Amino acid sequence: MSIATYRAPRRDLALLWHQVRYEQLSFWRNPQSAFFTFVFPVVIIIVFGALFGGGGRSSYFNGLSALQYYVPTIAAVSVLSACYSQLAIVLAMRRQNGILKRVRATPLPAWTYFLGLLAHCIVVSAVDVALIVVVGGLFGVPLPTHWPALALALVLGAASFCALGVAVASLIRNSEAAPAVVQLVLFPLLFISGTYMPIHSAVLNRITGALPVRPFNQALLGPFAQHSGFDWKSLGVLAAWGAAGAIVAIRRFRWDPRPE
Amino acid sequence: MHTHVSWAADNLVRAAAPARSAASAAVVVAGLRKNYGAVQAVRGVSFTVEHGEIFALLGPNGAGKTTTLEILEGFRARDAGRVEVLGFDPGDRASGRAVRERIGLVLQDIAVEPYLTVRETIARNAGYYPAPHDTDEVIALVGLAGQERKKVRNLSGGQKRRLDLALGLIGRPDLLFLDEPTTGFDPNARHEAWEVVRGLRSAGVTIVLTTHYMDEAQALADRVAVISDGQIMAEGTPSAIGGRDTARSRIRFALPEGYTAADLPLNAVAGEGLVVVETAEPTQALHQLTRWALQRGTVLGELTVDRPSLEDIYLRLTGHDAQMEGSTR
Repeated sequence: MSIATYRAPRRDLALLWHQVRYEQLSFWRNPQSAFFTFVFPVVIIIVFGALFGGGGRSSYFNGLSALQYYVPTIAAVSVLSACYSQLAIVLAMRRQNGILKRVRATPLPAWTYFLGLLAHCIVVSAVDVALIVVVGGLFGVPLPTHWPALALALVLGAASFCALGVAVASLIRNSEAAPAVVQLVLFPLLFISGTYMPIHSAVLNRITGALPVRPFNQALLGPFAQHSGFDWKSLGVLAAWGAAGAIVAIRRFRWDPRPE
Repeated sequence: MHTHVSWAADNLVRAAAPARSAASAAVVVAGLRKNYGAVQAVRGVSFTVEHGEIFALLGPNGAGKTTTLEILEGFRARDAGRVEVLGFDPGDRASGRAVRERIGLVLQDIAVEPYLTVRETIARNAGYYPAPHDTDEVIALVGLAGQERKKVRNLSGGQKRRLDLALGLIGRPDLLFLDEPTTGFDPNARHEAWEVVRGLRSAGVTIVLTTHYMDEAQALADRVAVISDGQIMAEGTPSAIGGRDTARSRIRFALPEGYTAADLPLNAVAGEGLVVVETAEPTQALHQLTRWALQRGTVLGELTVDRPSLEDIYLRLTGHDAQMEGSTR
């Protein structure tokens, strides 16, 4: 059998940590990814804070203040861009450049590579969400009450959107097309899912409730809107999308830019 | 350290592996076939590479060199034939990690993360192997000393290729694949790269390389195989391949003023200002020719004696000999 049989799990864990460190380094050194992925959502919440900061609760925002609504939805945007958009674009680019083929040529196991990316994306998301919560706090938004529900929604959301990002990277052939395809899917979906304004159409909400973005918004809105408990229905839809993404990713992912 | 036990286990397996494959060669390829749709890219290729030798695959673009190499490297599946790399089947996923811990490769194109430094890039890959070389040693070996802190995106093309070579070496491979390793190098850089490759062979590393350059194959390879149209046309040492060692010598010179080829004491063929005498007995033939010239008080200008070069053999084997002979006559 292979050497892997003799490997202590600790060494694999050390390898995973090694991989996450270098993913972090690549990410923060790249001004483009650091800005669009990381800074952009923070800028949006600052702008919204300046626009809506003084507003009280209203029925338009489902009984919340405007910022109380936007802190979780913009936090969701930051997770989406750190996981889904970033990963789809970076992986398509790395494949086209032949970097993925090089990775495949090393003994680094595929699962360590992807787990490393997932952990990296969760770290970026967590820092981004924390910053958004702090900015919200400066504009008077109370801190979320149910931290376990928030943590679960964030980790499950990050994992599901990472899986979807890898799935999209698996379906795109050309890395130049990646940003366009990613935005073309995401931008309208954000709007109809209530990210930038609450949607009061029951029909539309039923449709978007079955798509990935609105359930993620709902799962984050709960803890921020002082509800207690887990939103199992939304988490379930999110997990189903994550599983679907993972299946596509596992079946279709390619390391080599050229067809077999 | 806490990983001590697992490392010891790894070392046991690593020590056992060469012993098991010592009976067989480092690389065995037998009856290898690969089709892309209707195109037969590799049509029954067979060769073996012994432990510790440098083996060069020579051939024109599209001959099947890279496809063969990529099957050995585990990037492509084969359609038929037997392939063994360090005793493992590269098409077998279960042993993939064990094989990749012991091979290194330098591919044709350059691909490295742009925002890491040279040192970070090499140190990252070092972490993937159980017993890597020292990062700084490898940096010095490939001639990147002084560039450690430079971001990869700011390196020149040649420096990126050196970095690629460093990544191929960092895992302390037993077997190294080099796909056109010096394409785009200036002459000094090529000679430096050759020194590195020779040094690796002295350290016991087996090397399989592809190249377009005859001088590279001549300078480095212990054995050469010429591949054309998906088939091995000839295999041997660079000095004997294709019957080079037994081939007839060619004596070339300018015909003295006022004489024709028919006046010479031996059969000669005229071409481009020079005449060519082909002979299996160059000592004898030269003596006859120079005596003939001296008796007539004249000289054989531009006199040379040579055997077919590796390039001549290569061109003949890869089907370009018609052009070559046309130009000689």
